[in-house]
Amino acid sequence: MQSQSRLPANPSRTGAKGFGSLIKWREKMIVCVAVVGHQNNPLYVQSFTDADDALKLHHIVHCSLDVVDERVNNPKKSGPTLNETFLGMLYPTENYKVYGYLTNTKVKFVLVTTDLDVRDADVRNFFRRFHAAYVDAVSNPFHVPGKKITSKTFAERVSNIVKSFGLSSAG
Amino acid sequence: MVDPANSTLGKMLLDEITPVVMVIRTSLVEEISQRNGLSFNELLSPFCVFNNIDVPVRTASDQPYRLRKFKLRLFNASDIRQPNIEVANERIRQVITRAGEKDFPDVSAETVPIETVLSTSTTKLLSSWFLFFNKELVRTVSFSEHEAFDHPVACLLAVSSKDDDPINKFVDLFNSDQLPPLFNDGAMDPNILKHFVLVHDNQDGTAERATKILAEMKATFGASNCRLLCINSSEDGSVQHLENPWASFKNDGSSDQQLGRFLSMDDMDELKNAMHDLSSKHIIPYMEQKVRVLNQQVSATRRGFRNQIKNLWWRKGKEDVPDNPNGPTYTFSSMESQIRVLGDYAFMLRDYELALSNYKLLSTDYKLDKAWKHLAGAQEMIGLTHFMLDLSSKDAEYWMEHAFATYSKLGSSGHRNATRCGLWWVEMLKATDQFKEAANVYFRISGEELLHSAVMLEQASYCYLFSSPPLLRKYGFHLVLSGDLYKKCDQIKHAIRTYRSALSVFRGTTWNHIKDHVHFHIGKWYAFLGMFDVAITHMLEILACGHQSKATQELFLRDFFQIVQKTGKTFEVLKLQLPVINISSLRVFFEDHRTYGSDTAVSVKESFWQSLEEDMIPSYSSMKTNWLDSHGKNLTQKYKDSSVCVAGEVIKVDVEFTNPLQIPISVSGVSLICEHSGRSDGTNSDSNSSTSKIELVKLGVDGNLNGDTSSFVLSEVDLLLSGGETILAQLTVVPKVEGTLEIVGVRWKLSGSVSGFCKFDPDLFKKKAAGGKRKSKKSLSNRMKFLVIKSVPKLEATMHHLPESLYAGNLRRLALELRNSSNTPVKNLKMKVSHPRFLSIGDQEVMKTEFPGCLERRGNFAQGHASAKTNKASDNVFLFPEDTVISGESPFLWPVYLRAAVPGNISLYTIIYYEVGDTSSVIRYRLLRMHYNVEVLPSLDVSFQISPRPSRLQEFLVRMDIINKTSSEKFQFHQLSSVGNEWEISLVQPMDTIFPSDFLVAGEALSCYFKLKSCRKRASPEGDVSCKVPLEKSNIRLGHDKSEELYDISRSPLVDFHHCERANQGISKQEHLTEVDFILISRSQSDGKAGLELLSHHACHCSVASSSPIWWLMESPKTIRHDFGLSFCEIKLKMTIHNASDSIASIHFKTFDSTANTNSSTAGASSVSAANEAGWHDTSLQNDIKLTSDAPGNRVAKPLSPVCVSPFIWSASSSTRVKLEPLSSIQIPLQICVFSPGTHDISNYTLHWDLDGPTESSGTCQGQSYYISVLQQD
Repeated sequence: MQSQSRLPANPSRTGAKGFGSLIKWREKMIVCVAVVGHQNNPLYVQSFTDADDALKLHHIVHCSLDVVDERVNNPKKSGPTLNETFLGMLYPTENYKVYGYLTNTKVKFVLVTTDLDVRDADVRNFFRRFHAAYVDAVSNPFHVPGKKITSKTFAERVSNIVKSFGLSSAG
Repeated sequence: MVDPANSTLGKMLLDEITPVVMVIRTSLVEEISQRNGLSFNELLSPFCVFNNIDVPVRTASDQPYRLRKFKLRLFNASDIRQPNIEVANERIRQVITRAGEKDFPDVSAETVPIETVLSTSTTKLLSSWFLFFNKELVRTVSFSEHEAFDHPVACLLAVSSKDDDPINKFVDLFNSDQLPPLFNDGAMDPNILKHFVLVHDNQDGTAERATKILAEMKATFGASNCRLLCINSSEDGSVQHLENPWASFKNDGSSDQQLGRFLSMDDMDELKNAMHDLSSKHIIPYMEQKVRVLNQQVSATRRGFRNQIKNLWWRKGKEDVPDNPNGPTYTFSSMESQIRVLGDYAFMLRDYELALSNYKLLSTDYKLDKAWKHLAGAQEMIGLTHFMLDLSSKDAEYWMEHAFATYSKLGSSGHRNATRCGLWWVEMLKATDQFKEAANVYFRISGEELLHSAVMLEQASYCYLFSSPPLLRKYGFHLVLSGDLYKKCDQIKHAIRTYRSALSVFRGTTWNHIKDHVHFHIGKWYAFLGMFDVAITHMLEILACGHQSKATQELFLRDFFQIVQKTGKTFEVLKLQLPVINISSLRVFFEDHRTYGSDTAVSVKESFWQSLEEDMIPSYSSMKTNWLDSHGKNLTQKYKDSSVCVAGEVIKVDVEFTNPLQIPISVSGVSLICEHSGRSDGTNSDSNSSTSKIELVKLGVDGNLNGDTSSFVLSEVDLLLSGGETILAQLTVVPKVEGTLEIVGVRWKLSGSVSGFCKFDPDLFKKKAAGGKRKSKKSLSNRMKFLVIKSVPKLEATMHHLPESLYAGNLRRLALELRNSSNTPVKNLKMKVSHPRFLSIGDQEVMKTEFPGCLERRGNFAQGHASAKTNKASDNVFLFPEDTVISGESPFLWPVYLRAAVPGNISLYTIIYYEVGDTSSVIRYRLLRMHYNVEVLPSLDVSFQISPRPSRLQEFLVRMDIINKTSSEKFQFHQLSSVGNEWEISLVQPMDTIFPSDFLVAGEALSCYFKLKSCRKRASPEGDVSCKVPLEKSNIRLGHDKSEELYDISRSPLVDFHHCERANQGISKQEHLTEVDFILISRSQSDGKAGLELLSHHACHCSVASSSPIWWLMESPKTIRHDFGLSFCEIKLKMTIHNASDSIASIHFKTFDSTANTNSSTAGASSVSAANEAGWHDTSLQNDIKLTSDAPGNRVAKPLSPVCVSPFIWSASSSTRVKLEPLSSIQIPLQICVFSPGTHDISNYTLHWDLDGPTESSGTCQGQSYYISVLQQD
């Protein structure tokens, strides 16, 4: 996290140039969640914005995998955090914060949010519920492991989780 | 860590932060140097760089040190000013454009995989133009007033010896008009070191005049400050410089040879000496001196505690001064400027310690003054000196970051400085291998200027690549970002380059969104540049974009076709992804000795056919010897390798095409790509397997061009695939000439403009064959290779009058037509059908007769069917007559009977074996496999129930239940026959009364009763059993029309089908004599059809109810009136026992007076009715269909009015034993005593029988119910 502190802190300058940042600013908004397989293949990428920014979000998710790899290969901490699945913030861009989560089967969950002061507890809670939804989805006997998750139920559940994100702390 | 001076940043600083010499020259001087193709500055520049000047320097400290590397920067006076932003940007743009041209990737070069990118060295990847670009960017902020290292240290004044009045010229040159603005606005001390040079062109004559002027100059300006420079000694201007020193200073790339062509070696030496003297004798000592002076001054006023307090107080007093946005201005004479000069001079003279202490001093002052730009400059220098001193890199970075932040705070005015600062910072980070941080800095540098940002982002991406471990995805992302910006600045070539590099990251991943985006844009940009070929190769990658949205798919396709259109030709593409060819769906159909009657026959499993053919084809061993005899080993060897097909016969290939998109695509001209070679070249075929891509395309095109003239004919198919649709296309090839034919692949045209080719790769097959099921075990590459043999006759068969659907039981005559289109005759025909129950092969003569009229019994019923059987070999193989030879066009007809035995979808398989008349042929025999599907609808449901008639021996009552299960059909019954001659059958009631309507309409049910009588009798004393029932008696007419002839069920198709039915309906365990077979012949009259359809329903193994060989019958008066007041009633009964078996039976008759009878009342009506109903069973049919017939004997539970209450007893012998001869009867008298009036059931006896003879068996029969009513006589 030390190295990240040097990154630009002023969100006034538009980041991710060239992709026309079309995101409408909304408080506490998750713009994208993704499931990435253990071979870094996208299993599920879903954006929750109205804008046509799927490509950009794909890029962001893809890039954050570099950080996941880095975290996994150079675990700074040990002991109680050895089996920690929550990876913390991966990749603060100027408009987004990217959080990561790594399951024991090396499946990565990535969360991209526009909420720049999100609470870690909220994110942890989100990932916990997301993980449960994922486990249910891949437990479907008709799901082929390593293939994209096409389950509608999963999509619905994820969208519910996303909608309820941050609500608990809002009060 | 490397020596800071040798790092990139160190070199950069030693290059950039060096003393500046302002050059002022007359136009004639410029002219002299221009003769060499160089400006005066350029002429001198190579000699201003000293790698080992070796001059002792003593600055503030008393300890002198030696300076090794030194450099002077020469600038024209007019250039010493803040560069014009637009000009600078334009220059940078040109640099980038030129680099774009130079670095533009080779079109043919494949993008390198990421592993190779990683292993290539840093320098190779970082193009030199990055350095150049960075330098140019740094230079845009030179000559700023807030820093002193760009301020001229000395002034070089040059006057030509040809100038008039050179002395005055020197004076004129250095007047204030021409001086740069730095001098005029007070930022610089105009009193600087001046050096006077008189330039003499040796071609203008001897140096005499020049020396005279020099003497004058020395007198005027001082001896040490003047110098004569004689150049252009070479007469003809043909001096060639091996290592042209000017090459690197000349940017525009004019021919190197021309540069300095008038400069001889002496001239070069003179130039070198002149500059060396200038540096070592004038500039360095001057700077030394200045440093010393300034240092003393600073020490006196600023160092020490007292001075610092004073300074602080003084500065505080200045706080009232209103804030100038640029901070306060400092003149050259101000203390701050002087400290800055001191620091910069010390820096340039490599006395970094001194420089650092002064910069630090300066930074606190500036901070207090809020002179942010100056502060940033000072902080920047602190960072750099830290770096050069090789102090902690953290500190250096800390100061750089501060400087960067400070510059950034200034807003747009400080942006360029911030950029410069950032670039230095980046280099600093790179020197300590902090590439990730460097990339971040690059990212921060990128600002409003899009083009600059693009370059910065690209550099950032390389930083990610070089960091360890490499952050490849960020590398890719930043390349894409940078490419995007390049595109916005119209630097398309750069954009393509970056995107192509990015491809190496995304290749092989499944991030299709990103991959498609990259490929699509590369394609578009290449198309923009007019390089359509490459554009299309990239566009092809995105065609199968099923995962994209519909709009994107449309966009992709539209752009793709636009590009294709622009090329103006049809493109030939190997592995076109649209449509998707499902290789695993590939199926090849061809005919060798196996030929097929229809497509459906092809899809039947080979093993099924083989099992069916087993007893038809000659055995393998004999076949082999024949082949060896006639053709030798070579050919058989060849057979093993490849399939055999016949010239002129079609090879069909089924290929599945799938449209992965949501939008429809049109595919036209789908055809196979084949390769044909002559017979002899067996070796050639081996090389074919490795047909290269180009050859494949060529083959595909060739096949298109000369399809007709070549040795094979191809079919073409056009498809229109709507979104997501999969179509199975059948492609054919007809070889025309003997030899080998290989099906190489398939080709098609997408939307009429792009030709796609797909090779049927043998590897693909193999992979699939391992997992999937495949009909043949042959290696699959060989499945596509055919040995074409010369044409052999082929039989074609048609089954005439075969209906698609018919009702169960329907009997029809079909005609099998065989045709042989070639002139070579075929012979030895055999035929076999898979379902003899459905198909039966008739006799040829019946073709002439009417059907079903021929079945009618007319006159002689000699057993004509007997002869038909002779033709039948074992297992239903039918041999056509020996003399059957089919050739030429004349069709050959043979009757076949079809009877729909059971409802359902029935597949009928028929195989015709025939031998080829021409013995020289490779194929000796062929098989015609036919497959027909017949849908059989349920029609009549016929069931028979047989129960013995209690009143007659050997007679049975048959109940026939018929239900019409069709939805619309009407049936008319014609006759009911019992098969064999053992049974007599007759109607209980005439048909007119039970069934007046004559037609059984849909859904209707009918029950009628028949009497059945066994006619088995002992005919001869030898014990032969023969029964002969006249045919009239074994058949009954059911139709109302008495004139209609009955059908002879012993005639050919009927009897044959009956045999099959018997076999199919199961072999009964009972003995033959207790079974009856019935055939119900009915006719249907469907509304649409004119003729009557004949139906036959066979019910076999209808078991007569009794299972014992013993039949018996009670006889007595049924009703007796007796006056019980007088006595009990004695009734005489008579029992007739018949032995129906073929052996002697001993029968034991036993009576018992049990109380069971009395219980019959308590058991209630149900038991009574059950007893009464013996022989009748509930069938499910009758539950839901209402019986319309109310014939007598209808199954209604008859309540027995008087209940047997009083017992009776057997009064005669209670046990009787008799022996019965086979098929004989005996009568036993019996007697009972009845004590009370009522109806009595006389069934409390048993019959035990034992059969001798071959099958010894025994059994016990319970008595049958027999009721006697005894009434009270009044």
